[in-house]
Amino acid sequence: MKTLVLVFFLGLLSLAFAQDPPSDPKRLPVNDKKVPAGVEDMLAIEAALKSVLPAARNATVCLELGQGSGSGVIISADGLILTAAHVAGGVAKDITAILADGRKVKCESLGLNSETDSAMVKILGKGPFPFVEVDKSDRTRLGDWVFSLGHSGGYDKDRGAGVRLGRLVKVADSTSQSDCTLIGGDSGGPLFDMAGRLIGIHSRVGTNLQQNMHVPIREFVRHWDDLVAGKFIGEGPFAEKPKKGTGFLGVGTEDSGDGKIRVTKIGRESVAETAGLKVGDFIVAIDGKKLKDKEVMQKCLKDKAADEKITILLMREGKEKEITLRLGAR
Amino acid sequence: MTNMKKMIPTTLLMLAVCMSSFTQGYETLESEYRSNGSLMHGLLERPKQSLSDFSAVIYSGRKEIAYGIVVEETGYVITKASEVTESSDLKLRIGATQYDPVQILATDPAWDVCLLKTDATGLKVVHFADNGQVEQGTWVVTNGATTRRERWPQLGIISANAREIRAEGGAVLGIEIKEEKSGLEIGEIPEKSGAYRAGLRKGDKIIKIADQKITKRDDVAEIMKDRRVGEKITVVYLRKGKQVTAEVELMGRADTFGAQQTRNDTMSGDYSKRRSGFPRVLQHDVQGNRATVGGPLLDLEGRCIGMNIARANRAESFAIPVEELRDVISRMLTQAMKNKADATVAPR
Repeated sequence: MKTLVLVFFLGLLSLAFAQDPPSDPKRLPVNDKKVPAGVEDMLAIEAALKSVLPAARNATVCLELGQGSGSGVIISADGLILTAAHVAGGVAKDITAILADGRKVKCESLGLNSETDSAMVKILGKGPFPFVEVDKSDRTRLGDWVFSLGHSGGYDKDRGAGVRLGRLVKVADSTSQSDCTLIGGDSGGPLFDMAGRLIGIHSRVGTNLQQNMHVPIREFVRHWDDLVAGKFIGEGPFAEKPKKGTGFLGVGTEDSGDGKIRVTKIGRESVAETAGLKVGDFIVAIDGKKLKDKEVMQKCLKDKAADEKITILLMREGKEKEITLRLGAR
Repeated sequence: MTNMKKMIPTTLLMLAVCMSSFTQGYETLESEYRSNGSLMHGLLERPKQSLSDFSAVIYSGRKEIAYGIVVEETGYVITKASEVTESSDLKLRIGATQYDPVQILATDPAWDVCLLKTDATGLKVVHFADNGQVEQGTWVVTNGATTRRERWPQLGIISANAREIRAEGGAVLGIEIKEEKSGLEIGEIPEKSGAYRAGLRKGDKIIKIADQKITKRDDVAEIMKDRRVGEKITVVYLRKGKQVTAEVELMGRADTFGAQQTRNDTMSGDYSKRRSGFPRVLQHDVQGNRATVGGPLLDLEGRCIGMNIARANRAESFAIPVEELRDVISRMLTQAMKNKADATVAPR
């Protein structure tokens, strides 16, 4: 009998060790039951959800770029947004975020990981913006109750971001699966624990309604600094790497002899024309790099991809002028 | 255009690679523990009892086509009109008992609800909640699956603001209008359109709509702007030189001319044919398909807070809130009684 008790005790101990990290005061107690014990436990889940939902919803944004839309979530007062790489679409892209209250703000994408579908976007306007806490210490476990938000099918002010409740049903290193049903437009939207902390970003679905995949926050944490720094990580399927040498400015130039590059021609409907470059301008530098002649400039542009943003320093009528534009496609 | 945003393609990848993400080590939650697993359903005794008491299953022949709600103990049941009105050989099951034949007594086109009647006595009638003002995040239960003897619950939550769902593409008369020298003439006119049912036909010349004279197509667009499904407007037209007045009930464009499918519409599922053009709905995330619509939306106590009226897509389901539902039911019962009385006194 004694040995039995001892074994049981040891079993409990090892269970306690398995529960790592140790304590999380905000953890919903029902999460430690394999299934809610009764209606009371269900109501505890409901109460937890209702108490954190308004703040979670205020930080959930719709991201519009080009033809499509996805979702994202603000995680700092100055407007840092986490989203999916296939929503951001690339590095340094122009994106419009629609906040929960309908306000539209301009954003630019920072870095992304094309292998795991994670990305960061930054609001360019001045904050403070409503934001949520990120569970960087990764305390969610398989079976935990979770909820998802997202602007399914695009922003709809009357509806708001739709909330769905479920459990974490599958956990792997760089992907989690929940039974919160997702649909187009939810991509990049947030997955929360029942304390309202961000634990994942919506990525993709399978045909089965239970196949809803999220990028876990640990995947963002792993590459945090690179993402903030605007790096394009990996060669995965979620974003296409810009190809060097595909960028096109659309100007004809000549060396004017005194170490200056003079613009002699502007291509019709080129990005140079749209950005306001003029015949007679002198190109001094690109992205802060001084150019001593035409050859150096061409070499510099050869390193750039279509849609890449560059800043050109000009001399026009004796005055310096800076122009920022996105390169066209060759 | 009210629904332009629906046209914007939205991002979500449906990828074969999604499963390959789990090729290495992973942990899985067994299906009975999932949010709609058998162990969760075991907690829903009261809703399950309600489903067995007053949720009806509607069949066309042997095929399950919709669910319904028992509203009178003498065999009156409401259901989603567009799923049943075109079906033949209707049968009902309430609890373990099957009833037939089933007649359609009245229809409410605005809400897409119809009233069915079968011969029965002593049925248990729907138990309404005091109101349908349910906060987002509240648990809700619907009829998920059916066997001959039992109804199985399906669980979800209220997931968005209660609101109007404008008809996809707006509310329409259901006619194609051609500008001819002699005036505005009706071209194509689908048989299910409000205009056709009001007696209008191809070749008729339209003179007035809603008491306004019309001379060009743009006039019609202007008059039809911001109209609602179910609204009735008068149309004056010429046929063989004779002037006729008709009252046309408006329908959703998608219901009349067929819906444009977006990628979201086809994403994993079989959705309701009619899923827009409702004056006000509750939105929830309970999973299902077009045949699981028409029954009651329940709270954890098993009280009815609404009627499921559309499975809109993979993530969105709509229900008529109990306040509006009670009105719809009493209107249809009154209409059915009146029809019956008319039939009794009608001279032969």
